[in-house]
Amino acid sequence: MTFIQITGWEKGRLYVLALIMLAGLGVLAAAIWFIQLGRGDMYLSSQEQQSVRRVRLPAVRGKIFDRNGICLADNQPDYGICIYLEELRRAGRKRQTAQKAWTLIEQLSWVLEIEPQVTLKQVNNHLYNRKPLPMTVWKHIDHKAMARFAEESMRFPAAEISFDSTRVYPRAATAAHIVGYVGASAAGEDDDQQYHYYLPDMEGKRGLEKEYNRWLAGTAGGRLVRIEVSGFKHDETGIRAPVPGGDLRLGLDLRLQKIAEDAIADTCGAVVVLDPGTGDILAMASAPAFNLNLFNSGISVDEWRKLAEDERKPLFNRAVMGLYAPGSAFKPLVAIAALVQGKAAADSVFACEGTYELGGQVFSCHLGEPHGEVDLVKALEVSCNVYFFRLGLQCGYDALYHMALAAGFGNKTGVDLDNEAAGLMPSKAWKRQVRGETWRDGDTCNISVGQGALLVTPLQMAVFTAAIANGGRLFRPRLVTGQRRYDQNDFEPVPPVLERDLHWAPAHLAILREGMRRVINEPSGTGHPAALPDVVMAGKTGTAEFGRKGSGQQRGWMILFAPFDNPRYAVAMVVDESISGGVSAGPRLKRMMAEIFAIHGAEG
Amino acid sequence: MNEIIQQLRRLNLAMLAAMLALLGLGIAFIYSAAFGLTGQAGLNLYEKQIGWAAIGLACFLLFALTDYHYLTRFAWLFYVAGLVLLVLVFVPEVGMKMYGARRWIQAGGVRLFQPAELMKIACVILLARLFGYPGRNVRRWRYSIIGLVLTLVPAALIIKQPDMGTAMIFFPVLLGGMFAAGVPGRKIAVFLVGAGLIVLFVGAAIVLPPRAGMPENEHKRLLTRIGISPYQRERILVFFDSRRDPLGSGWNKAQSQIAVGSGGLFGKGYMQGTQNILGFLPRTVAPTDFVFSVIAEETGFAGALATLTLFGILFYGGLRAAAVAGDKLGSMLCVGFITMLFCHVFINIAMTVGLAPITGIPLPFVSYGGTFMVSTMSALGLVQSVHIRGEWK
Repeated sequence: MTFIQITGWEKGRLYVLALIMLAGLGVLAAAIWFIQLGRGDMYLSSQEQQSVRRVRLPAVRGKIFDRNGICLADNQPDYGICIYLEELRRAGRKRQTAQKAWTLIEQLSWVLEIEPQVTLKQVNNHLYNRKPLPMTVWKHIDHKAMARFAEESMRFPAAEISFDSTRVYPRAATAAHIVGYVGASAAGEDDDQQYHYYLPDMEGKRGLEKEYNRWLAGTAGGRLVRIEVSGFKHDETGIRAPVPGGDLRLGLDLRLQKIAEDAIADTCGAVVVLDPGTGDILAMASAPAFNLNLFNSGISVDEWRKLAEDERKPLFNRAVMGLYAPGSAFKPLVAIAALVQGKAAADSVFACEGTYELGGQVFSCHLGEPHGEVDLVKALEVSCNVYFFRLGLQCGYDALYHMALAAGFGNKTGVDLDNEAAGLMPSKAWKRQVRGETWRDGDTCNISVGQGALLVTPLQMAVFTAAIANGGRLFRPRLVTGQRRYDQNDFEPVPPVLERDLHWAPAHLAILREGMRRVINEPSGTGHPAALPDVVMAGKTGTAEFGRKGSGQQRGWMILFAPFDNPRYAVAMVVDESISGGVSAGPRLKRMMAEIFAIHGAEG
Repeated sequence: MNEIIQQLRRLNLAMLAAMLALLGLGIAFIYSAAFGLTGQAGLNLYEKQIGWAAIGLACFLLFALTDYHYLTRFAWLFYVAGLVLLVLVFVPEVGMKMYGARRWIQAGGVRLFQPAELMKIACVILLARLFGYPGRNVRRWRYSIIGLVLTLVPAALIIKQPDMGTAMIFFPVLLGGMFAAGVPGRKIAVFLVGAGLIVLFVGAAIVLPPRAGMPENEHKRLLTRIGISPYQRERILVFFDSRRDPLGSGWNKAQSQIAVGSGGLFGKGYMQGTQNILGFLPRTVAPTDFVFSVIAEETGFAGALATLTLFGILFYGGLRAAAVAGDKLGSMLCVGFITMLFCHVFINIAMTVGLAPITGIPLPFVSYGGTFMVSTMSALGLVQSVHIRGEWK
């Protein structure tokens, strides 16, 4: 290597490379020799001793409490019996191992006097798919069976009591849609624990259980226990402590929740009660509901099918997933949009002849009765369609559309629940793309009275109502107001989120509120059936057709906030099969609000 | 037709035989290791591996019969295409995330291939062109620097996936190429010292801060900032202390060592390895990265040595092809591919016997894996192409 030509290269270096590789293979061969033959005995014996049990230590799932500390989701210890299939296996075929395991299960069944809960086929499946894991052959065994097992356990070295915790919902059907439920998790691919075998944990499938699964679930731990052939447990060679999940505190008041659920229990519909000052959900009911404890220990196929195929969709949370035309309950938005645009004032008067003709099409007021000369406040009170057709046209659809978007329509509210629907606030571009038609004045008229393609959720209506009540601030509605880790004593508060301030002028709001106050408190108001003798409330009713046109099926809406001067509640209710919002939802809300004020009145 | 037969006659038959033997070995032990385990399409893994081997053989023949001069003309094209694919891995709908790493290109949820494996080939071809271009004075600094940049760019992208093990392969391949090309020892020494300093720095960053009393969280953040994920740190720490986390990261290392160690001189017999059958060696890794420990357990030292010998034949044949190559370009191709293969073999087996940390490097021709199989067999095809056109009687 003393002289290498400037442009040349030396093939001699290839020999050096070859020597390096030879040396590398030599090192490997030496290492293998060392551990296979030099110390082979040690590894062989360590393998013979090696009957290692991987005992899983489940993480206890976090609890969910309402605002007063009442528990909505709890855990309950659950004992079972598992067998360690790999310890049943000596060299031989898998089928023999399965047969051996089955014999063991039959013996246990006889001794413990309980029927087998698994089949031979399941044993085979387990053997093929996750042999290193213990197989749980009995779940939920009672104390008698546990005592019998304790007496006889020396006869069954490959079997052991297993511990797990089951989710229980002490309040059964109350707040079922909100709390949700858990089920066995699908094997996660997306974690870096690819080298570990652990049994699947329970995982939130719906509601808060799903939305906050990571927080609630915690992390399962494990323990390695070496077992001698006699079944004597030797020592623990490794442990990883489980980390319990964290708890949640909700803004929900269980008493209000119960009242809200009762208010619509006999029909299909939803009701949402918000705290207008924070966006906290005080109650959110959807009817019909279901019993959460059906899901406790694995729901049966029949029960599941009954729930899933029920025409009335009990699993469906109408409050956040249900899409409805808001009908006249949308009019306050049209009013505020026109006021903000300067296209309307308290004394804007239109004459109502009962019908309104536009381009050959006739739009009519409810029942076609003329309201005569009405101003904005009166138009809200009597819910005059003709007035709002004209107001909507005068305001212009663009202004209306942008105010609706700003007030949260057409977008998810961002509530901390799964499967929230966004609704639909149709734009001119939307109509061109989807329907292939241009926007007409008739469309503006329809939207102005909450019809047409417009779709909203009850929660969106409640958030909008809260904004009217609190002076134009749009909060992100939320369920969880506090979180604490398993090692904390106090909940850390979660601050409320103000989506945006809509900057509505107090003078404009005063007009709108006055109209809404009269809706309930004037005898001619459409929402008068909801009036309470000792609390002043303000609201708006709405009726929307659904199903085929002319089928006569209607949904009744009512939004309200109360008390009028210092609102503590913003409410939106929708019920199926109504005559009108005022007639169907009004009395329900009257009863509901009376009960709420009865228990909550003193606290505000 | 005659020409093809002429070319086939000039194949290095010993290498061909060794390669086929390793393929057979791989299929047999994937059958053993993955008994009862079905893959994505419901086929048994060994059946899929046979399919991959067939595709690999076709590529092998195609590249063996193609003049390597022709291929190296497109070196830059391959390289840039490889880089593009490596970037595409990070595009959500194109790349696929598995086990927390983005290594796959997918189509409609189906894994297609791992660009990193293709990049290895493209990189070797471009380096061979860089150092083997006729009349180039590789003693000048500029070629070493260009070579370094050409390897660091794909390596950085692969580290980002993250796949530290695969990325690390690139550096020794560069060094091997530089050395064989005739780059002066001093320059190579500078690179080696640089690499050594980086290893020292990373090692220090892993070991020292906790001893100096840095809280766990801050340490993790520090390591993430220099590109080391928590599980990589675990694997490195486990390498130095096998009692650490025996249930998690330490499990495979311990089980693999026990499997190899209990093999003895002649092993426990085919499909009799208890470590393997009882599932102590997890099913997810036994057919892939840890297939050698299954071989060592079931065929003992004799089988392990035979496997090493087969690899030795491949390395020797490849370097001989480099020696007899018609020009420096061909020689550099052979050196690059053989160095790459050697690194895989060494790191993989060293890992199964506990001499190296667990890095996820597969064993060429033997481990289960489609892209890697096709790319390594294409590489050997190119080596054969050089051999066929070499100056020997």
